[in-house]
This record gives sequence, structure tokens and C-alpha cells, in this order.
Amino acid sequence: MAAVLAAPMSRIRSRGWGGRIGYLVLAAALIYMIVLPLYRLQSLAFADGARGYTSQYGRDDIGEVIWTTVQLAFFSLVIAMVLGTILAFATSRLPRKFAFLRIVPVLPIVLPAVANVVGWAFLLSPGPGYLNAAMRHLPWWNHLESGPIDIYTPTWIIILTGFGLTSFVYLFVSAGMASISAEHLEAAQTSGSSTIGVFFRVVLPLLRPSLIYGGGVALLLGLGQFTGPLLLGSNTGVKVLTTEMYRRVSESPSDFAAAAAAGSPLVVLGLVVVLGQKLLLGDQTRFVTHGGKAFKSAPVRSRWAVATIVVYGIVALVLPLIGLILVALTPYWSSSISWGLLTLDNFRTLFQTSDIMDSVVTSVVASSIAVLFCVPIGFMIANLLVRGRRYPVIRLVADLVSALPLGIPAVIFGVGFLLTYTEPPIILYGTRTVIVLVYIVLMIPFATRLQMTALLALGETYIEASATSGASSFTTNVRIILPLMRPAILSAVALMFILLTHEFAASLLVRSPTTQVMGTRLYDLWANGSYPLVAAMALLMTAVTGLGVALAMLIGGRNVLDNL
Amino acid sequence: MSGITISNLTKRFGSNTIVDDLELTIDEGEFVVLLGPSGCGKTTTLRCLAGLETPEGGTISFGDRTVFDAKTHTDVATHRRNIGMIFQSYALWPHMTVRDNIGYPLKVRRKKEALRSGAVDKAAAMVDTGHLLDRYPSQLSGGQQQRVAVARGLVAEPDLVLFDEPLSNLDARLRDQVRTQIHQLHQRLGFSAVFVTHDQSEAFALGDRLAIMKDGRLEQCDTPQRVFDEPGSDYVAAFIGMGNRLVLTRHHEGWQTANGDVLDLGSRSPERGGADEIIARLRPADLHLHRAVEDAPHGSTVLHATLVTTEFGGRHYDVLVDVAGERLTLQADTREHGAWLPTAEEGAPVVVSFNPTDVRTYAADPARSAERESVAV
Ligand SMILES: Nc1ncnc2c1ncn2[C@@H]1O[C@H](COP(=O)(O)OP(=O)(O)OP(=O)(O)O)[C@@H](O)[C@H]1O
Ligand SMILES: [Mg+2]
Repeated sequence: MAAVLAAPMSRIRSRGWGGRIGYLVLAAALIYMIVLPLYRLQSLAFADGARGYTSQYGRDDIGEVIWTTVQLAFFSLVIAMVLGTILAFATSRLPRKFAFLRIVPVLPIVLPAVANVVGWAFLLSPGPGYLNAAMRHLPWWNHLESGPIDIYTPTWIIILTGFGLTSFVYLFVSAGMASISAEHLEAAQTSGSSTIGVFFRVVLPLLRPSLIYGGGVALLLGLGQFTGPLLLGSNTGVKVLTTEMYRRVSESPSDFAAAAAAGSPLVVLGLVVVLGQKLLLGDQTRFVTHGGKAFKSAPVRSRWAVATIVVYGIVALVLPLIGLILVALTPYWSSSISWGLLTLDNFRTLFQTSDIMDSVVTSVVASSIAVLFCVPIGFMIANLLVRGRRYPVIRLVADLVSALPLGIPAVIFGVGFLLTYTEPPIILYGTRTVIVLVYIVLMIPFATRLQMTALLALGETYIEASATSGASSFTTNVRIILPLMRPAILSAVALMFILLTHEFAASLLVRSPTTQVMGTRLYDLWANGSYPLVAAMALLMTAVTGLGVALAMLIGGRNVLDNL
Repeated sequence: MSGITISNLTKRFGSNTIVDDLELTIDEGEFVVLLGPSGCGKTTTLRCLAGLETPEGGTISFGDRTVFDAKTHTDVATHRRNIGMIFQSYALWPHMTVRDNIGYPLKVRRKKEALRSGAVDKAAAMVDTGHLLDRYPSQLSGGQQQRVAVARGLVAEPDLVLFDEPLSNLDARLRDQVRTQIHQLHQRLGFSAVFVTHDQSEAFALGDRLAIMKDGRLEQCDTPQRVFDEPGSDYVAAFIGMGNRLVLTRHHEGWQTANGDVLDLGSRSPERGGADEIIARLRPADLHLHRAVEDAPHGSTVLHATLVTTEFGGRHYDVLVDVAGERLTLQADTREHGAWLPTAEEGAPVVVSFNPTDVRTYAADPARSAERESVAV
């Protein structure tokens, strides 16, 4: 910690080599952690005359896999962009009485992706899905034996994925909206535009930068989508590149070279997007935050806004939760609910199964340790990015490398870490350490960007005032910068804790049969068909996350989630 | 410590030279005001003194201690320079009480003795903020915040106190109040100070010496009285209130305006053999308005002008007149001129007089006057 806090700042220099060396070590560590696993994957895929590539791309179904991947990414992106933008616009137009609904669009992130997927499976599975069963009571469907909806098809996988990405798009777009001044909107309204007119003629054009940025991130997330296709599509033969990677690694003998090759298009696209954003947005320090004259202050009452948000909340959160709760309370999953048989046995089983409890502990411990490391690492990188004008090369490297884990799917890091740490010199397979390491890597973009935004908002003057008062950069960091950044740091901690306790994709690859996290243990239950236990486990995961967030709110105040 | 010496100081941002070979010495206990228009490099100079910017060339010494020397790569870190700085935006840390804010320089410099002996309370009392010690900055008015910032800047008795337009965010009344307080504190404590402003009245009130900057260089550096009486250049004259400017050409023994008035500038007339075109500078208060030449006092110099606008200003009217295409401003007493001036038409002929000893003349810079004309067109 001390080394971090002594991180030099360009204006308040510890004028010597200390800073340069510190930052060099940081950059080297980032490259080792983030780039090396990717490099090892590629060198393996190219070994033996690119055997990995020929084997993976020589398969009969490769065309279909790529086509499914692209379709999944594209259509889920469309769904997420439309829904996310509408939601952001709707939250900005909430009547004051309903202002509390603003939290609804971000609430679904408390529900883990695995829980969301299995929750919907319980509702829309063609046979015993509760919603399907209910729909079969409708006159025009009452002849059906199963269906009418089959959640295991690509269409529904796409729809669910789109829903899952909506919160992300919402976060980007609503941040963009905060920078549109209320005057723009009032000007449009006073010149006679309707709500729809304002939306299309004023809001959308002004939002274009955040839409492009958010869309880029959502596209990458869509391409790297793993949970939905794996849980829903495995039995019906729906394959995407990420599930192919998993399959190559988990079949025996595992074929890392082919897995690496399968992931390459995603790595390349991730690199292109990260570099492209760098080029398009340029130096991010130019974007110093806009004042708080926000969009939301427009005193318009729109009933449709309330309705939209309530409907979204029901679909994205309430329905899957109901599915989970119902199944979790039944002894076995069937289309008809026998209300008399509801029981808490599943939870009891859960708590009595020691390896399940171990997975909870592993999740919480690994997530907490990773977050603990990520905050100072992110603080250092943010410091370098904001104040490191004196180290242009190190700064550029740190900027690009720290953004990679957001651009490249978690599955690929999972495979890369598995490959790197099952071989000498460092063998960590089966330990919690490797889980912590991969978690740190996955969270570095979040730790960095959130703290960087806070640092930029802080400005230089408070720091300069401290230096001119005679404080060294260490003292300034401890007494001025950290206290002032506390809310932002707590927000980052809360978000990272949520994302990590939900983590599934990378964990599935680096786990071992004896070292599991909640998500992977849930997957095993799902693969075994123990559905009531899956439901109970999903609820347990949600509860653990909820507790973490509640703790963050207790320490950091209620608006911890507002800062996201 | 005895005085601060800045020599050959040069600071560039990219290819723009912002501070250009600047020379300045500040005696121990002296209060130097850096005065100049926006963008001339005052803040940058101050920040170089504080070590917040790294200059490209030159040296800065505090007494016999060199804190910056480009040649030997000496660059003493800000926190080791033993300075105090007061920012335009106050920069009080919002998470600390007033007491903690003021005590911070003592705490981080480990001056435990001073902390124990009540230096914080004393500093707060000096700027009348003793009753605010347990509040947070957000609970203070702008004037109170700036006074706390002054206390924080002075509490550790630094070698040099730097002020960057500390008064410009305050309203007029508070500005006078805090200005007076700073002046008294300086007289009592005798710290060396550099005070940046673009307000001439602040500069006159506070400075032992005024350093007037233009494009990163010192244009004149002298006592307020000397700067006021003998502005060293047309630029300085314009900046310290001699807003009225007349271009004159030599005409036999006198000087002629563009509309043909020949003026006798008396002792202020440049010697023969000098430039044939000069710029005359006059303060608005030194110009007098008359309806006819006969009304002008004996011995004064007279100009024919036409009326442009009149604005009521209480005791006086602010009057804008035109002399051969040059606009002059002056003040006309309400009692004396109230009968005719408010109803006078635009374009009405009037007469302006001044005492030749009040005029200051400068050789016209041909390049500059050409530039001005092209801008005016
Ligand atoms: N960090 C910087 N990068 C590039 N240019 C800068 C930087 N800081 C200042 N400048 C430029 O240097 C010039 C002088 O700036 P400075 O802040 O010293 O002016 P000033 O005399 O204090 O003006 P003001 O009265 O408006 O405060 C300006 O043209 C400004 O644009
Ligand atoms: Mg300035």
C-alpha cells in the first residue's frame, strides 16, 4: 500500500527516478498478468504449423458456429441498445413521486447471469416451464403438449442475452444523458416538440458518442457471451465461439491449441475496439466531468416512463426471481405446482453440503481479496493515466493493457490462465490463488476507469494546495486524495464485488473439482439436473451479492450504486 | 533567507513561450504585485515559483538556496520550498474542518510546537474567522472561505507567500475587506509575497512594487507611485487607467491631431529630433468637458470633439466623445453640466481641455498603429 500511495504525480513530482521505476514495475506487472496469458495462447495455437487453427477451423460446423456467434452478438446488441436507451430516457422523465424507480434499471445486476438464465429456463422451458404451462391454458394453445416457447433455441438465447446487456447500455447512455443540459430539452419543448419528437430530434443525436461507446462495449460482451449459450444451448446444439473454447478445453484430452484458435477472432475484435476507442476518444483527460446541471431535472411527468420502467423491472428481475423461488421451494420441478408440497428442504440440503458451502466461501474470499488488490492497482493506473504526462510510453501501455479485459471475453482469460498456471514455472491449478489472479485481471478495467473518473473530477487544485502547504505526495495521497475519493472507491468496490461473486465464465475454466465458486457449483448442479437445488443455489448467490452491496451501502451511504 | 531572485526564467507550453526570459528580484519582506491582462503569463510565473510547473530555462533562488536551475537540473519539489499559496478558487479541502484546513501546513511540516501553542487559533483570529473553526468549508461564505485560505497560507510562516488572484471570486465589498486584511497582515508579519492580479486598484493598494507583465516579459517594475506617475510605456499607461489615446503628429513647435487642432504639450512635448508621430495618453479624470473654447481654463490645451454618448453616473456623467476618429472617455460633473448635457444630441460639437502636465507621450510604434487600424476596420 505504501508504494501505491507514494505514486508520484507529474505536478507534484518526487523529482527523480522513483516514480519512473514504480510505474515501470506497474506496467510490467500488468503485462505479465494480462498480456502474457494471451500471448501463451497464441503461441500455442500457432505451434506445429498453426495446428490449433487448422484443427479448429477445419471442423465442419465452424461456419455455423461463427454465424451463430455473430447473430447472437448482433441481435442481442440491437435489443440492448433499444431497451437501454428507452430506459435511460424513461428514467430521466420520471415524475418526482416515482423518482425511486431510478434504481430499477441497475437492479438486475444484483441477479447473477446464471441465476437469470436458469430462472427463465424454469419459466419458459418447453415442457415444465411455468409460463409455458400457463400459456397452454389459453384457448388457442390448449392443444399443445409443450411450448409454445422453447427457451433452448437461438432466438430465445438471443433475447435473454439482449436483456442481460441492457443494464450495461443503460449505464453508458444515462451517463451520456447526464451531460445533456435540461436547457436543450426545454428549448425543444418550448418550440413545440412532442416527447417523441424531443427524443428523436434532440436526445438521440446528442447521445451519439455515448451510444457508440456503450454499443462497442455491448457488442464485445455479446460476442463473448458464454453463460446463456452454455446453459441453454448445450443440449440443442447451439454453439458459439466461447462455448467451443470451453468444449475444446474440457473434452479429453483437452486441446488448448484449438481453444486458443477458437478465441482468436474475439481477441482481435477486442483489440480493434480498444485501439479504436483510444483513437476516437483520444486523451481521456480532456473529458473533465460536466457539472451536475442534469437532464433529470426536467420537470416533465410521463406516465409511460413509469410504466416502461415497471414492466422492465418485472421482466428483468421479478419474473426470473419468481421462477427461481418456485422451483427452489418444490421437491422436484414440474409444470404444475403442488402448493401443499412446498418446502425449504432444498435450502437445508444446500447448507448441509459442505462443498457447496466451500464454494460460497471461496467466492466471497476470492472476490474480496481480488477487490482489495484491485483498488490500489486501479488507483495507481488511474494516477498514471491522469497525471503521468511525463511518462508517455508507460502511460499508453498501461492505458491499453488495462482496458483489454473489458474488450476480451472472460472465457479467453480463463483458458489463458488455466494454460499458464497448469505448467511450470508457477503451478497454481486447483488453488484459490489462481481464481484471485484471474478475478484481479477481470476487474482492472473497472477499478481503473471508476477511479480515473473520480480523479479527473477532483481536479488539480486540492492537490496543489496540499503540496504548497508542504505535504509530500505520500501525505497528499493519504490525507487529501483518498478521503475525497472515498465515495467513488466504495462504489467501485461494490460493483466489483457484485461482478465477481457472479463470475462464471472465467471461473468455470480455472476451477478444479475441489476448488469451486458459487457459479461453477451451480453449473454442476444444473448439468446433473438437480433443478430445485440449482434454484436454491441461484437464490443463495443473489443473497450473498445483496449482502455485500448492503454492507457497502452501510459504509458508504445509500448512494453507493448511484455513482456507477 | 534574504529575497528571491528570478533570472532568465523561461517557460513554454509546446511551442508557445509563455514566460519569456523573465528577470525579477523580490526583497525580503517585500510585497510584489504581478499585474497584467489575461493570458500574459502571471499564473504561470507564480506556478514556476511554487514548483508546480517546470520551466525550460533560468534560475530561481530563495535567498542563497537555488530551488530551480535548468542547467544543473535542480528542481526542488513544491513541498520542500517552504511557501504558502492562496488560490483563486480557495481550494479548501471539503472533508476537513476549518481548523484542520488551517492546521494542515503545520501538521505536514511537523511543527508540533506551533500547533500546541495555538498557532491555528491565532491565524484564524488574524482574519476574523476564529468563530468558524469547527465548521466545514461548505458551511462558509465565499469571503470567509477566502479568509480561511489566507490563514492557511500564512500559518506556517513561509519564506514566500504566493497569491493567485485571491480576490477575484469575491463581490466588490468583500474584495475591499479581504484586501485590507491582507494589507494589514503583510504590514504586521512582513512576509515576502507575490500577488497576481489584473485589477489595477488591487495592485496600487497592496504592492510595494508593481511588476507589469506583457506577453511573458516584464514591461515595467517600480513602486505604485512611479508606475502611476510615469508609466514606462504606452502599454503600461493603457493598463493602469490612461485609457484615452491620441495619435499626434509634429507640427512646427506643437503637435497636431488628425482634425487639425494644434496642441501645446509644454514640458511633456518630446524633444526635437525625436519621432514625428507620438501617442498621447490621458486619464479620463484629467479631461474636462466644455461647450465652447472660451469656457476652457486659461493655460489648458484644447481639443475639438463631438459628443457620442452620455451615461448618468451619479455625481458625474460618463461621457464618450470623438476626436478625429479617436474615442475619448471623460467624466463631467453633474451640477456643472446637468443643464445641457443630458439633452445634447449625438454629434453635437463640444470642447475638451486638459492640463499639459497630465499628458504622457510615447513614440508611436508604426507596426502597432497599423495593426490597430486594420483591427478597427
Ligand atoms: N497547462 C497549460 N498548457 C498549455 N498552455 C497553457 C497551460 N497553462 C497556461 N497556458 C497558456 O499560457 C498562457 C498564460 O497563462 P496564464 O494562466 O499564466 O495567464 P494569466 O496571466 O494568469 O491569465 P489570467 O489573468 O487569465 O489568469 C495562456 O495563453 C494559456 O493559454
Ligand atoms: Mg491566472
